[in-house]
Amino acid sequence: MIQKKVCMLGTSGVGKTSLVAQFVHSMFSDKYLTTVGVKIDKKSVQVNGTEVTLVIWDLAGDDDFQRLQTSYLRGTSGYLLVADGTRRVTLDQVVELQKRVAETLGATPFVLALNKADLAPQWEVDEARISALADNFTVIKTSAKEGAGVEEAFAHLARRMTPPA
Amino acid sequence: MPDAGSPAQSILEALGFVLFSRKGPGGALRFLGKAPEWLDTLWPALTKSGGTLPVADASPFLENFLIDAEECWRRGGAERAKSGPWIEQDASGAEVQLEATAMTADGQSILLLERLGEAFEARKSVLQRARETVIAHQRLNSEIQKKEILLHCVADEMTAALANVITSLRLIEREDNGPRTKLLLGLASRATQEQQTLIHRILGVFEDELRGVYDRSDTTKMGADWNTVLRRALDSAAPLFAEKGVRLDAPAAAASAVQVPADAVHLERVVANLLENALEHTPPSGEVIVRTDEEPEALLLRVEDNGPALAPEVCENLFAKWDSSNAASQASALRLHFCRIVVENCGGEIGCAPLPAGGNRFWIRLTKTGAAA
Repeated sequence: MIQKKVCMLGTSGVGKTSLVAQFVHSMFSDKYLTTVGVKIDKKSVQVNGTEVTLVIWDLAGDDDFQRLQTSYLRGTSGYLLVADGTRRVTLDQVVELQKRVAETLGATPFVLALNKADLAPQWEVDEARISALADNFTVIKTSAKEGAGVEEAFAHLARRMTPPA
Repeated sequence: MPDAGSPAQSILEALGFVLFSRKGPGGALRFLGKAPEWLDTLWPALTKSGGTLPVADASPFLENFLIDAEECWRRGGAERAKSGPWIEQDASGAEVQLEATAMTADGQSILLLERLGEAFEARKSVLQRARETVIAHQRLNSEIQKKEILLHCVADEMTAALANVITSLRLIEREDNGPRTKLLLGLASRATQEQQTLIHRILGVFEDELRGVYDRSDTTKMGADWNTVLRRALDSAAPLFAEKGVRLDAPAAAASAVQVPADAVHLERVVANLLENALEHTPPSGEVIVRTDEEPEALLLRVEDNGPALAPEVCENLFAKWDSSNAASQASALRLHFCRIVVENCGGEIGCAPLPAGGNRFWIRLTKTGAAA
């Protein structure tokens, strides 16, 4: 059985835990509950006809209160960057975070999930910004609340981590 | 080391601590003593295997931490390595919050595992409130910025319309009017002027409130430092340019310190808006050139892009609110309108013109502090 370690990265309140809950348990709660430390979940997906178990490390938001411990990234096969489309600053922060992570992990597959797509009228990230990012990032709009884009984001990452034999 | 069943061992367990020992590098992790109920529920394999924890299966987090722990045990002495908190789930789905510490005691490699319980909840509660506050502050900040721009736009529109009414009334007043018409004209004229004063007062109150929120100093009176304003705007914009692959050619630093009579925060947003506008219209691999020219009594900022050249008639209307000729977004039209309001409010000028070799030049001219307007 193939196992791949996936880290959820982003600043606090962007919906990392909610994305995992939607992906693994098909559940969503509107209430924001901060993550302290690390919580690990597993889910199996099919990639090119092969079963791959994603070991998903939901890491606490990287902010002034808790800095990302780089030792948690050890052995990571891919990571899902998460930003909140309704708070532009979280996108700026995750772009900076990606640079720091790349210094530790080197060239490792990643996908950027622009979360809270269900709150489109409140978005502060416009299409011009998303297009500008597209050269360096695979950007997928997600809604942990409605499930839109969630499977796609993880599936895309899983394919990137598991090249065809 | 406390003996199994000793008072020390019981106290440790009552406090939520359990001990494991490591038998040599890469060796098995053996539990010391009798596993408490919560540990048995969490990792049933521990009891089944006679006290040896199959780490790889039981906890990927612990497996990862053991690499740091091995390094700690190798160094020995008073060295400690802490895992940081993590959450495990037992067979019933209940969450167990843990933290591990690696240390050396009596020559043995020891792993101290703590069940965090109340301490974890207390820490979580503090972090929850702190993060909620940060998120609320970010949302409030963003909302205030949007309202500030909209308020200025609405006020500008109302002021312009009122100015037309006042001019018309004055022209009518010059005509040969009857006493009743003169009286009514006077009333109308006074009412419009009061409206104009009211609009300015509302803007003033809003400015004061903003100052209260951000504790801004009154930079309008003493003037903003141009070099600081420009540097801050360039620094903020640099990541956006890098993302799109557009080169930002800007002066490293201006030759001398220059003060301009404007609010530094507003002026920084004006420069940021012009940079974002240029970036929006410049294709990837293009270039945006930023230059500051010092004139005897004024300062000229030029922002030149590689975008499609604008027709002169488009340039004339580009800074009007909701300019229909502006092919860009409504947001970008509002951005440029905001620039005009801020620049004109501090006695400056703003404009744009197509460049002969392609692209466009956006410019603002600001009177220096102390210079005759």
